[in-house]
Amino acid sequence: MKVVGARIPRYDGVAHVTGRTTYVDDVRVPGTLWVKALRSPHHHAGITKLDTSKAEAMDGVHAVITWQDVPLLVYGHLSALGIPADEPLLAKDDARYMGQPIALVAAENEDLAAEAVSRIDVEFEERPALTDVRQAFDAGAPEAHHEGNWYKHFEDEMDRRQIRKGDIEWAFDNADTIVQGVYRPAAIEHCPVETQVCQVVPEPSGRLTIYSCTQALYFSMGVVAAHLQVPLNKLKVVGGTTGGGFGGKNDTATETVCSLLAMKSGRPVKWRWTREEEFLCSSTRAPWHMEIADAVTKDGWILGRKMLTLHDAGAYSRFSPYGVTKHSFHHTGAYTIPNLQFDGYVVYTNRVPTTSMRGFGVTSISFAVETHMSRVADVLGIDPYEIRLKNANRIGDTSPNGIVYTDPSTVSTIQVIAESTGHELPAEYRTMTNEPREGEWRPEHLVAQVGNPEEH
Amino acid sequence: MATVSLDPSTATEVLRPGSEQEAIAAFGDGKDVLVVGGGTIVMPELTYRRLQPTRALLLKDAGLAGVTRDGSRVTIGATTPIEELVGLPAPIGPCAANIADVEIRSQATVAGNLCAGEGYEAPRGDLQGAFLAVGATVRSAGEGGIREEPLEDFLSKRRERLALSISYDEPSAGAFAGLDRPHTHDFTALAVSGARSADGTIRLAATGVGGWGVRLPSAEAEVAEIHPRVIDWGHVPRSAGDDPDGTAALQDVTLHDDAIASAWYRAKVLPVLVRRVLTEMKESA
Amino acid sequence: MNLTVNGTRHEIESPLLTPLLDVLREELGITGAKAGCHQGGCGACTVLIDGEPRRSCLMPVGYADGGEITTVEGLGTPDDLSRIQQAFIHHYAAQCGYCTSGMLLAGQAYIDRGGTGDEEAIQTALGGHVCRCTGYSKIVEAVAAAARGDSFDVTETAVGKHTTMATGGAE
Repeated sequence: MKVVGARIPRYDGVAHVTGRTTYVDDVRVPGTLWVKALRSPHHHAGITKLDTSKAEAMDGVHAVITWQDVPLLVYGHLSALGIPADEPLLAKDDARYMGQPIALVAAENEDLAAEAVSRIDVEFEERPALTDVRQAFDAGAPEAHHEGNWYKHFEDEMDRRQIRKGDIEWAFDNADTIVQGVYRPAAIEHCPVETQVCQVVPEPSGRLTIYSCTQALYFSMGVVAAHLQVPLNKLKVVGGTTGGGFGGKNDTATETVCSLLAMKSGRPVKWRWTREEEFLCSSTRAPWHMEIADAVTKDGWILGRKMLTLHDAGAYSRFSPYGVTKHSFHHTGAYTIPNLQFDGYVVYTNRVPTTSMRGFGVTSISFAVETHMSRVADVLGIDPYEIRLKNANRIGDTSPNGIVYTDPSTVSTIQVIAESTGHELPAEYRTMTNEPREGEWRPEHLVAQVGNPEEH
Repeated sequence: MATVSLDPSTATEVLRPGSEQEAIAAFGDGKDVLVVGGGTIVMPELTYRRLQPTRALLLKDAGLAGVTRDGSRVTIGATTPIEELVGLPAPIGPCAANIADVEIRSQATVAGNLCAGEGYEAPRGDLQGAFLAVGATVRSAGEGGIREEPLEDFLSKRRERLALSISYDEPSAGAFAGLDRPHTHDFTALAVSGARSADGTIRLAATGVGGWGVRLPSAEAEVAEIHPRVIDWGHVPRSAGDDPDGTAALQDVTLHDDAIASAWYRAKVLPVLVRRVLTEMKESA
Repeated sequence: MNLTVNGTRHEIESPLLTPLLDVLREELGITGAKAGCHQGGCGACTVLIDGEPRRSCLMPVGYADGGEITTVEGLGTPDDLSRIQQAFIHHYAAQCGYCTSGMLLAGQAYIDRGGTGDEEAIQTALGGHVCRCTGYSKIVEAVAAAARGDSFDVTETAVGKHTTMATGGAE
């Protein structure tokens, strides 16, 4: 390897410490208009009237856009992964989360833009809002989404990500005890120090230059091109300089609408979110509701796991089905459990759509799995290190989705942790390796499900 | 380039008095004028367009800053930066040190903090509690002219007055106990300040209990009953049973839910903070 | 009114209530100080005013009348980096870089006031500054190194001499 282990100075280190790094907000283009958004004040409401004429008539206002200005209003950012489109770029018939953008104004200065937004004539008909994923399945629950309250387009139009492995009934029939737990990590704000921001310049050539803080430049370029129905070569995206993203700048949240405003006004435009918008309206890491039931023996073998996950996608799909899929692959964590019953739902609520954030889908499951392992250890009266080593992934074991582990590091990692925390391990755990199981580490219930790498 | 400046045609008239007299004259009766101390509370309101004043008073160059002493009487000018209070004895010093960070404390003014409004259900004005506990008076200008009055009377009218200075007699003991998260920029969820004057009277006050800072007369009465003023603390034999449990303070407040903490949580914590303050003052007897 | 920024005097046209941050960035085009929140909550806007670190988003420009402002650009240039800037490079104290300007200025002011390598004192001095990338430890190390007066070899990082992709990675 040429880079790993090398000591290379940051290419942008000098620029960062001298204030020379040019972030999107630092780009200076004469004649740039300031953008402000009209956002839904309601969690869930029909839009019964939208009249932007008074805003458009104001001196110094150069463009106002609504859903009518968008060539392709609904485009699925991950349709290439089979996730159908469901979210309009700007709200049309209804608003499904507080903060959803309905219209945008480009004006000579920030004050004018804000004043123009306040003059947009909009009327709503409030609807009941669904905010708790656990209520999504109740008869009579508010309908958060036009397709119902959970996503129904996994493979073969399944309404959940499902994993079945081995014989879960056998596991639960043969357990000495069942250990249950419910895990509910809350939403997390990415909160980068740089808020969402975008500057678009319409070029005389007819192209658009888009200064973007996106984490995914080519991806965002494709999204903009699709909404605008223009070929990719019409867009020049200048990116790669982001003041923190952590997964929250993958949504292409500003680039398309700024492009539309630049095209409509013929002027450069800039939209910089306030910190309040960032907290109230930007996508977050999703809150999850996870339930685990483990069938365990009194000497610490986990025979089987049943798991139910409700992922709060907020008002629209975005990347959530992908996140739940990744999540499902990791629901045994660093451990081998031969009998599995996993069901994961992407649940819609009338909250800000959730998105990727460091370890998308996997961070949540890791939290639940590790906490649950400790809970199992506690219930059985077994040392939490030993129970982990006992059930650890070994060469030849398979993940929930059938990947064969060729060199899993669970054993060595836990041994290192034990040593650094001064936790004494009995000899057989201290000398354990990740070699394929044998002897007492290869009980009957594992024999059928796991094998040697050559068998796969 | 994009500009965020205000449209000049509706720009606020900005006044920069250079002396106390000029400030008082510019303030007038206080109607239709925005007072700017350090700007730490007011500037975000302007930026986010929640305030659009026709006139604003920039006070920092009006000579209203400074801490002076006359015997045991301390007088703090209205625009004294909060950072200058950090070394003072409890409750004022620790209360000031608990506010934000050194940069904000150096910009924010004492009177700005005392005059803070209720702010979107987030408690501000932490210093109100500390100054109530030391029995401070406030000299202010406004309708009816200049007057000096106890802080508790000033607080209910603070938004209509121009504070000029705060005065108090140094207590013989004091303590401050605040509940907040371990982050520089969290608002204090709840805080109790206590002070013991030279004659042994205990005063207690709290902030984060809804509205603005208030005295805790029921908690004070409880302490006074058990430890009458005339008795020297050092000679009163004490046992655990003599100590008030602080729950009397709950009668003096109307607790509220907000983004920082629930009323239920505040009700659990208030007596604890009262006890801590009393214990700390006892131990410095 | 006027103010001097990094040694250059400017006559200011913006209304007196305009935040100093916006005057610097929008009127003067000096963009080192960043708009992280416009509420004083993050420290990305901090500049030095007569050597003291202050939140420029909270300061009406009228209060800076006649003042000497130092922004990050005034600490040093790529060809003439100040010690604290070198320390940040050497210790990898910047990732996205958005908080870096404020951290550097607060750190420099701390050192100018006599600040030492005491980590707790550094944390208190920089307590108003939010970083979402680094976890703060390398920033504190860098400020401590600068406070101690460490000098830095520009061919090295904190963990050893530079190597290049051409010469290979792990030794």
